[in-house]
Amino acid sequence: MATEKTDVVIVGVGAAGGILAAELGKAGMKVVGLERGPRLTTADFTTHDELRYFQRQELRPNAKRQPVTWRPDANSLASPLPILNYGNQAGGGTVHYGTLSWRFHEDDFRARSRTVERYGASVIPADSSLTDWPLTYADLEPFYDRAEYELGVSGKAGNVQGRKIDGGNVFEAPRRRDYPLPALLADQSGVLFEAGARKLGYHPFSSPRAILSHPYQDRPSCSYCGFCQAFGCHIGAKSSILVTKLPEADATGNFKLVTGAMCYRVNSDNSGRATGVSYYGADGSDNTIEAELVILAPFIYDNTRLLLLSKTSKFPNGLANSSGQVGKHLMAHITARVFAAFDDRFVNVYMGPSAQKHSLDDFNADNFDHSGLAFIRGGQVSVGPADLEAGPIGAAMSMNPPPGIPRWGAAYRDFLAKYFTRYAAIVAQTENLPYADQTIDLDPDVRDQWGMPAPRLTYNWQRPNELARIEFMFQKLEGIGHAMGASRVWRSPMGPGSPGAHHEGGTRMGSDPKTSVVNRYGQTWDIPNLFVIGSSTNPTMSGFNPTLTIQALAYMSADALVNRYKKNPGPLV
Amino acid sequence: MAKHDESRRAFLVRAAVGAGAAAGAGLVPEAYAQKSETRREADAATSAPLHSAGDGHGAFFNHDDAMTIEAFAERLMPGAPDKPGARDAGVLNYIDLALAGAYAELQDFYRRGLAQLDTFCRKNYNEPFRQLGAARQDEVIAALEEGKATGFTWPTAQAFFSIVRTHTMEGLFADPIYGGNKDFAGWRLVGFPGAQTFFSPTDMQSRQVFTRAPITGLQAQAKDPSRR
Repeated sequence: MATEKTDVVIVGVGAAGGILAAELGKAGMKVVGLERGPRLTTADFTTHDELRYFQRQELRPNAKRQPVTWRPDANSLASPLPILNYGNQAGGGTVHYGTLSWRFHEDDFRARSRTVERYGASVIPADSSLTDWPLTYADLEPFYDRAEYELGVSGKAGNVQGRKIDGGNVFEAPRRRDYPLPALLADQSGVLFEAGARKLGYHPFSSPRAILSHPYQDRPSCSYCGFCQAFGCHIGAKSSILVTKLPEADATGNFKLVTGAMCYRVNSDNSGRATGVSYYGADGSDNTIEAELVILAPFIYDNTRLLLLSKTSKFPNGLANSSGQVGKHLMAHITARVFAAFDDRFVNVYMGPSAQKHSLDDFNADNFDHSGLAFIRGGQVSVGPADLEAGPIGAAMSMNPPPGIPRWGAAYRDFLAKYFTRYAAIVAQTENLPYADQTIDLDPDVRDQWGMPAPRLTYNWQRPNELARIEFMFQKLEGIGHAMGASRVWRSPMGPGSPGAHHEGGTRMGSDPKTSVVNRYGQTWDIPNLFVIGSSTNPTMSGFNPTLTIQALAYMSADALVNRYKKNPGPLV
Repeated sequence: MAKHDESRRAFLVRAAVGAGAAAGAGLVPEAYAQKSETRREADAATSAPLHSAGDGHGAFFNHDDAMTIEAFAERLMPGAPDKPGARDAGVLNYIDLALAGAYAELQDFYRRGLAQLDTFCRKNYNEPFRQLGAARQDEVIAALEEGKATGFTWPTAQAFFSIVRTHTMEGLFADPIYGGNKDFAGWRLVGFPGAQTFFSPTDMQSRQVFTRAPITGLQAQAKDPSRR
């Protein structure tokens, strides 16, 4: 067993961990980053192979060796999820993600207050733990700005310091300045979506994405090859942590990345301090790192799992769990999707960045009046291919044919042959309200390849608020499809109640140690030198993809650690 | 097994050198002539035939099971003039190789699924699936899909249908390096150009069919210096 000493250990070097590694390293702190998977390079992504990366999920965790189980309710048996939707290498999910880079709305940070102010408390489902964040959009704005400029995000502003700009997202919260890079080019599906949405009086715009529309920071601009979601970028135009923050961290001379390292415990002493972590090395070794500061930044399940597995006699319910809140309020986006087929043109939706290409925000958050509706909050609406990537396997697996056409046989063949190049999917990615009984805990039966209990999700999105909103969105999506000029628009069936994309929650942030796990900086209330940073701390989720918010929170935490905590270690609030 | 391994290895070697060749099969000659010297060179280096004289199986399936899977896949995605189907694309070859490799854990799933299918067909039609006429085969597949076919325990009829459908689509649309999508049959069927190095602003906003050739498969990508 090897023991190593350092200032900081970061578990998981992805969207949040990569930023912290670079920023703390620059401040002179010695940082060790533990990464479960390998560190790949741009050259590893030379070949774009839909079977390997989309269908067989090579950049995701292996669902059999690293199982995550799911059950719809506490009375059911959990079984392993067939597909895991997060990263498994240095850079984490930013290696394969679709790069959507949103700032949350002002009201996303105060979802409860906003709802009560506008509609009264009675519209909030009784079983929902809807709440406000312990910070405002204005608190996070400087760090959103930093993330956009340091990483490289392309988009068109819709609200600069309160001035609304047509063509950008006019519903966005005010930003201090425009994006560092202009919007990416629209493909034909974007052109159609833009025209159709305007016809209906909506406010479409090019989705902000962490893909370079022009050369930036010695990286080339996007070639529009279309292999984004599920794939690594073969030219490094995707602003993944792999090509942005990890080189910065390396350059500090203070950062060491250990790949193939599976952290299995956070160590703590009787004084209530975290002393470091233990991990299994790629060579099977059992190792310990002693650190002054422990930062957990893996995908959300492993925060809960590590905190629960690290229990001691001093912390019998797991670390940082005096509130009993660890593992609660699991949320995931719920997606309504329709397909639109065009007879008067080709759409060629496989061209250009593949995920959520063009958007409208008219039905997100509280951007529209919910009076008289049977639900609160909303979703982000966008156009793209069947399953965020645009190859034919994805279309064959994820695009159900319209009613009347079977899923196989000559009629299906003719449908696919004609419409693979003449379709677009229109999607509403809707916000899951938090519910305390949607949880992550340790599976009593299933273990992973290291012998650790699998994370077990107890979750079912099919609740009245969410179901009513999905039906509302379906009708909006159908309207958009027809306004785009589609000859036929049809719905994709909703799946079972299992969690969809962008799982969030489990180590909720708040302003009260009795009802939350961490403070606004991700610092655990119970152990001041133990931090959890990432979307597991989101108290509510918004209809937007979480990555830019994870990154902004990481910048904010890094700022607090460098400028305040480093001089005077202790509680930050 | 040794013989199978040998033939599989021989196939894989051929596939590795041959996958790019189909890009030069003259699908759209006028556009093909415009391709860069680099691409031409890459294609020239990979001009061996993808499929040998082999009958598209032997790594896993025995002959009867191979004929069943080939017939099943062909009913799922039947070929027609100018519309390549599962047989044209070598879907059987893809599934056979996958079950001997990446999907080896599904060998028993297929063995049992095929045995149950055989029993079902003999019981209801007095003949194995592979010998039924197309209309009967379609009836059987529909019964599987709807879970109405009797006598299935594990895998269930629907699970078996679902996996064969998935693997048929993979064999039709995965890169030819995996042994299906022969001569880009699947990509030609739907009009997918593979992993092009770039799309221009004009391409992006075009309402027309995209015809710039060649279709780009993995071998060509790996050799294209602009992808480095």
